[in-house]
Amino acid sequence: MQSSLQIKDLQLYRQGELLLSLDEQIAGGEILTIMGPSGSGKSSLLNWLTGILPNGFTATGEVWLNDKNVSHLPTHLRHIGVLYQDALLFSHLSVAGNIAFAMPQDNKNSAEKLNKKQRREKIEQALEQVGLAGMENRHPDNLSGGQQARVALLRTLLSAPKAILLDEPFSKLDTQLRVDTRQLVFEQIRTHKLPAIMVTHDYSDAEAAKGKVIHLDL
Amino acid sequence: MKLSDTSEAVSRVLAEKSANNNDKGSVDLIWINGANFATMSENSLLLKQWANKLPNFALTDPENNPAVNFDFGVPTNGMEAPWGQAALTFYYDSLSTDKPPTTLNELVNWTAQNPGRFSYPKPPDFLGMSFLKYALVMLHENQDAKIGKNIKAQLNLPATEQNTDMVLAPLWAFLDDLHPTLWRKGEQFVQTGAHMRRLVDDTELSLAFTFSAPEVPAAVQRYDLPESIRSYAMSDGSLSNTHFVAIPYNASHPQAAQLVANFLMSPEAQAKKQTPDIWGDKTVLVLSTLNPEQQALFKDNKPHPSALPFDSIKRTVNEPHPSWVDAIMQGWQTRYGVSP
Amino acid sequence: MSKNTNNKTTKEKVHSATITGITAPYKTDLFTRIVSLSPTFLLLLLILPVLGGLVCVLLPAFSWVTALEQTTVSLQGFHDLWQTPGLTQMVALSIATGLLSTLLAFVMTLMILAAFFNSVWLNRIEHLLSPILVIPHAAAAIAVGFLIAPSGMFSRLISPWLSGWELAPDGMFPHDPYGISIILGLTLKELPFLLLMALGALAQPELGKKLRQQYKVALNLGYYPITAFFKAVLPVLYPFLRLPILAVLAYASASVEMPLILGPNTPPTLAVTIMQWFNDVDLNLRIKASAGALLQLALTGSLIALWLGSERAIKTCFNGTLLNGKRHYADALWQKITAALTTVVIGFILLALIGLLMWSVAGFWRFPAVLPEQLVLLHFQSAFTQMSTPLFNTITIGIVSTVFAIVLTLLCLEAEQLSQKPLSTFTSLIIYLPLLVPSIAFLFGLVWLQQLVNNQTAFFNVAFTHLLFVLPYVFLSLASSYRRLDPHFAHVAASLGATPAKVFLQVKLPQLFAPILIAIALGLAISFGQYLPTLLAGGGRIATITTEAVTLANGASRRTSAVYAIIQMALPLVGFILAWVLPKYFFKSGKNSSR
Repeated sequence: MQSSLQIKDLQLYRQGELLLSLDEQIAGGEILTIMGPSGSGKSSLLNWLTGILPNGFTATGEVWLNDKNVSHLPTHLRHIGVLYQDALLFSHLSVAGNIAFAMPQDNKNSAEKLNKKQRREKIEQALEQVGLAGMENRHPDNLSGGQQARVALLRTLLSAPKAILLDEPFSKLDTQLRVDTRQLVFEQIRTHKLPAIMVTHDYSDAEAAKGKVIHLDL
Repeated sequence: MKLSDTSEAVSRVLAEKSANNNDKGSVDLIWINGANFATMSENSLLLKQWANKLPNFALTDPENNPAVNFDFGVPTNGMEAPWGQAALTFYYDSLSTDKPPTTLNELVNWTAQNPGRFSYPKPPDFLGMSFLKYALVMLHENQDAKIGKNIKAQLNLPATEQNTDMVLAPLWAFLDDLHPTLWRKGEQFVQTGAHMRRLVDDTELSLAFTFSAPEVPAAVQRYDLPESIRSYAMSDGSLSNTHFVAIPYNASHPQAAQLVANFLMSPEAQAKKQTPDIWGDKTVLVLSTLNPEQQALFKDNKPHPSALPFDSIKRTVNEPHPSWVDAIMQGWQTRYGVSP
Repeated sequence: MSKNTNNKTTKEKVHSATITGITAPYKTDLFTRIVSLSPTFLLLLLILPVLGGLVCVLLPAFSWVTALEQTTVSLQGFHDLWQTPGLTQMVALSIATGLLSTLLAFVMTLMILAAFFNSVWLNRIEHLLSPILVIPHAAAAIAVGFLIAPSGMFSRLISPWLSGWELAPDGMFPHDPYGISIILGLTLKELPFLLLMALGALAQPELGKKLRQQYKVALNLGYYPITAFFKAVLPVLYPFLRLPILAVLAYASASVEMPLILGPNTPPTLAVTIMQWFNDVDLNLRIKASAGALLQLALTGSLIALWLGSERAIKTCFNGTLLNGKRHYADALWQKITAALTTVVIGFILLALIGLLMWSVAGFWRFPAVLPEQLVLLHFQSAFTQMSTPLFNTITIGIVSTVFAIVLTLLCLEAEQLSQKPLSTFTSLIIYLPLLVPSIAFLFGLVWLQQLVNNQTAFFNVAFTHLLFVLPYVFLSLASSYRRLDPHFAHVAASLGATPAKVFLQVKLPQLFAPILIAIALGLAISFGQYLPTLLAGGGRIATITTEAVTLANGASRRTSAVYAIIQMALPLVGFILAWVLPKYFFKSGKNSSR
């Protein structure tokens, strides 16, 4: 089944005024870039996609994920992963803990049943792949910004999301780190064939994404 | 000075004595009798030989009136001035029972037929102890009549190790029979007489008692008891005693305190105190010592329906010696103080 | 504090500076000196009375009482204590009521937070429950007592049509021997407190924002809302709740007002018994009472240790569960249960308050009528004629202790900023000290010390003792607001030449007008509700609304005690209304200041 994220006829209103309208389909592995100045509704779009539109905002339209309408599902049932500007790693868990937290439950019935040892191994492998080998037991607050961003990425990916949203995820990293992290994230998105939407105000991000770019105007 | 009971005043004076405060005490006058008086007297906490020198003391006819010279059998030695008298009277809710008991024996039958509708305050509460003392005296009167002895007389003498068990045995037997028919099966007791009165208003109890008969109509006027309440005295006897005011040895203002005590014994103050609207507490003055004008102050014209009818107290019962209080309390605590 | 001695010396001005540019020493101004001494003063103020009180209970416990001419150390007191009939029951009752009520309040708090974390209901529940916080324990106990009595609101609502009761039935509540009534009363009072402390922690900008975002992350990862709260938010939030919970536990296990009004007397809780011994006419019981106070101390200490130990145990046990990836534990069911329980709790509280209100204006109100037969103002009128002195005392003591507490707190918080070091954890712990040590254990000793020092002005002694209990709450209330002040304002003012005192008075304080008013209202509320401190430190000479209310609670008139309970509740409410209204007219900030 081809994975896809579809925004059908979205009209987003802030306090009764139309903020933006969108009708797009993103295939797995593709990245849709949304750009625009502050206040143009970029974050509100992501909020709507994850199901947490704040007060003062209303919207019409539907979200379809892999040909299923998820518009009426609450956040925790949508399986849409989000990467934020801040890594937001849980400070009461270690690096491995953060990632383990995200992994699906070792369910005896699922095809993916992993026992504790296998989960640990999977986490170790993942950390190696992004250049963080041996950091399982480190405390998240002791990592650098770039390292935190990579752990956050792993956390999101290993939760087996069906789509992924990026909310200006590289804006807090300095230039070289930004380039490296961005490359890593996009690579993973393509490998896992996840439909992705990225919100940013950096043109180089949009170029690297190599996908459709939409500009929101005020 | 607001205290919730006199024992707090005793604590205060003791604390002051141990802090060597011998003439700037915070308490100038205490309302007192019975065990509290005995304790303070034993510990030399009271001013001596002042009450018998007050002008109004003569109006209590001290020569012929042991009630004002002895406090529960203990001589006052001029350490306390009499203020009022009290007798144990009962009251009941006429809407929930129409035949209240009039003797101790009838009481037992009544509670058996109306379980959970009567109780008494937990010792060492004064009112609760009074009920127990009343019961003890009555039990011995009835018993003495049957077996031809006079054990009751021993109640007027100090309790001793030898006679305590024997004298108190009938009381425990009586209570063992009574408790299962009481409120909450006698496993819990109200803390004070005031609480008991409130339970009557709540309709949890149908029968209760008090040492201050005027408090019943006063409560009805304040809506704290229903209009269906009626007061009466037991026909086999009502326990009676006198209450006093005393001055701590270290009072800051002893002269002023004595002036107050004298005023309290004046006919005007005593008459006002006896007015049901004010307190209704019985006077310690002997009316025959007063002139006709003063006597007129004491007449009451419109009795309240729930008030104790005039002259209800046909027979008074004297308080036993104070040492029996401790004895009863110890025994009670051991047998019933902790619910099983 | 030592860092500052580089910049400040307390010697005379020296005018020459050397070529290497050593900072010219200058004379620190009075304000700064006072401020830098404040934290030490605070510590001494809290530690000395409590420790002093404990020592003065320790000595009599070992039979050293000069007033009774006993100066040999012996264990007679403890021996007598062991012999007390029902001692095990007393201890068990204290432990059960303390532990169960704290657990219940804690669990309910967590459930409410979890179920309503990202919903508007949390805010609404907060507003509904905050007034309960300032109701003194005595008033709450009175209200609860009315509700659960056999002739209380619950029974009346179902009689006689459902229950067939014409007279009040044989009931168990209040004063039941298992302490259920006490647990009910305590839980209802502690639940809003814990909830509001948690919300207060969440209101801190960095922490709150971070936790809410991490909650969102957990939701995105597929965790159901309640599970997300327990696995992602609670582990980080809990440390902020620890001290309030321990304070609740300490109070619940050693409280006197609640068991006096709602508890059994065959036997009562340990704290109540100790109080009765201390107040007994027989002065030799003092020794037993002091031994009992030590026992109470051990009891509360063990409960605290038990709680802390359980924390560790739970942490270890559930470590695996945190990471097992399970996203959902019948969340929908728990959501419904929590919603139902919250409604029950709020309904309970409302019913209790309505009952209280009705009793205060009731004429004859025979069971099983749901409404009184007449409504009269008599009770309020007669109460007011007797209330002037207690009311005056209540208000003046409240003002004195609160003002002092506020000033001291502000100075200490200012010291924290001037020295640029946060107050040590030791200080933060000591601030909680009067709340953690059972009052019954140290108050008697403290009162004895006060008697030695100053016998005549009971007012001062009472105000001082109240200060000990007001200070922690005032401090907690002001600390977060003070620490959130933008330091840039102070820097700008200083660069314009303003002295620290000027900065404090003209820049910082006006910004803090609203939080200061709230802290004042809170301090007043705490002082208004104190029972044991007023009773003991004042030697019974100082009557406040609360002491009157407790005395009347088990007295003869529900109506009068209802009136006093209502006054008890109304007083703090006035304070909070002022705290809410005044900032709208004075020192208005341009934007809406919402937390």
